[in-house]
Amino acid sequence: MEGPALEVKNLKYSINQRLIVEVSYFELRKGECLVLFGPNGAGKSTFLRLISFLQPADSGEIYHHGEKVEVKSGQQLRRKIVYLLQKPVFFQGTVGDNLLVGLKFRKLDQKEQEKRLEKIATVFQIESLLHRYPEELSGGERQRVHLSRAFIIEPEFLFLDEPFNGLDVQYRDRLLADFYRLRKLTGVTTILVTHVRQEAAYLGDRLAVMVNGRIVQTGTPEEISALPATPEVSGLMGHEALVEGEVVSSENGLLEIEAHGQRMYAFGQHQPGEKVVLTFRPEEVILARQQPSTSVRNWFLAEVKELRPLDRMILVSLDCGFSLKAFVSRASADELGLQPEKKIWAGIKASALSTWPGSQEERISHRE
Amino acid sequence: MPLREILEITWLSLVVSGSAAVLALLFGLPSAVLIYLKQFPGKRFLIALVNTGMGLPPVVVGLLVSILLWRTGPLGFLQMMYTPAAMVLAQFIIALPLVTGLSLAALQQVDPQVMLQAKALGANSWQMVVVLLRESRMGQLAAIIAAFGGVISEVGAVMMVGGNLKGYTRVLTTAVVQETRMGNFRSAVYLGLILLALSFAINWFLTSLQQKGADRWKGPRWK
Repeated sequence: MEGPALEVKNLKYSINQRLIVEVSYFELRKGECLVLFGPNGAGKSTFLRLISFLQPADSGEIYHHGEKVEVKSGQQLRRKIVYLLQKPVFFQGTVGDNLLVGLKFRKLDQKEQEKRLEKIATVFQIESLLHRYPEELSGGERQRVHLSRAFIIEPEFLFLDEPFNGLDVQYRDRLLADFYRLRKLTGVTTILVTHVRQEAAYLGDRLAVMVNGRIVQTGTPEEISALPATPEVSGLMGHEALVEGEVVSSENGLLEIEAHGQRMYAFGQHQPGEKVVLTFRPEEVILARQQPSTSVRNWFLAEVKELRPLDRMILVSLDCGFSLKAFVSRASADELGLQPEKKIWAGIKASALSTWPGSQEERISHRE
Repeated sequence: MPLREILEITWLSLVVSGSAAVLALLFGLPSAVLIYLKQFPGKRFLIALVNTGMGLPPVVVGLLVSILLWRTGPLGFLQMMYTPAAMVLAQFIIALPLVTGLSLAALQQVDPQVMLQAKALGANSWQMVVVLLRESRMGQLAAIIAAFGGVISEVGAVMMVGGNLKGYTRVLTTAVVQETRMGNFRSAVYLGLILLALSFAINWFLTSLQQKGADRWKGPRWK
């Protein structure tokens, strides 16, 4: 099996004695899109700048295809990396001039420059923008040109810092789809920074979750969502605190938990008598008129408290003796006849619940 | 005043002030880039000195250069006093802080994010300097315009170190002073108008260059 395209070991960076980034190990595999995911201020952009050789780290080692990169040869590696800043900034000149900047830095011949410009303009549908000035473009167009400027270089590594931030939903979805398609087509090894869960799940072959300057978990979006390593990751993956309970029994990892006078089942490594907090993802909750006989272990009779439309889904707030939230499509909401005060069955698989030691208060304060 | 003499005076004005401005550009622009890029102790103090130098009174510069070039002065052996070279030196000293200070201000106007993006797109150190100068080129041209305008119109320094010698170091400004003193107001006015016209022509040329610099990007350079 081929080794990682890029490896980072013991990377540290601090400002005024305050540790901003401390990554003991990080690897980027050839051809993958790794999403560096975490809350604002987690150190994601700084980490990206450090491994792009745009700013020096205090200590640490970087390996390119297994070979240690010396500071002196960092310049050569830097040429293989294109790093796009979060905010698109442009040089003086037209969009066409701006697209060619990276190629001119690499001293590509005129013919090749023209060929690539024509190709990228077609792929990103920006032919009509080439003669215009960046300041004349809309936010979405600027972002599109910004992205094209990276792809035209055909780099080995593409590092993108929140490239879809601040765009209106419609434009963002279009650009996301274009980016996804083009990245698959070119197979360029990519790190994409985002704090938006949906983007991370959609684009990431793997996620690296960064909290307080440290990478706390890596894995596929599904793996991390199913088994978040820490309460922070759980919160970042959109898990909601459900209820606090006490483990009654534990058999092969399946826990029976008593909470608010109800029995619940979840998987985890806890001992009987231990206090736990259960978390869940609203999209894992099933709603039904009658309790169906399925493999779903946890069913609660709930009262609908509120229906709130969110983007394409409806967020349903339920009261089962404790608060529960669920996402349903509009069609499902109509079919189920959901309305406030209506009684409905809510189900959630044991495998869709995560368990954390401690009380709910601790967990909530932890998330804040 | 004979036409030939007027032409000689005009030509000498152009050569002296043009040379001083070009020399100031050759030294001032790299100095500004170095000051901008490098971090060193006393950087702020140096910038304050440069900014102060932008308002140097020409007579003070004339005095300083006179002391240096006087027969008994440290550079007296060069025998430059009362020569066009001495006038170039004096005007160079006047123009240098103007070019350095205004160029530095222009460089500081460039968005640091633009420079970071250039680096992130693969620019090496030299290419970064090129980007920096290109991004600030309007300000750089403004610095040259200000420097040339400053020296072509000054009279104190050239009078002191050039001596206003007829047919040798007499330039438009010193000639205007001379003619006025002699009561030849008609000649003084003509010479003054020539000075104004010359100043306007040079500035018009530089301004066109500056604006053309902006327009140059409008063409499809990638074609």
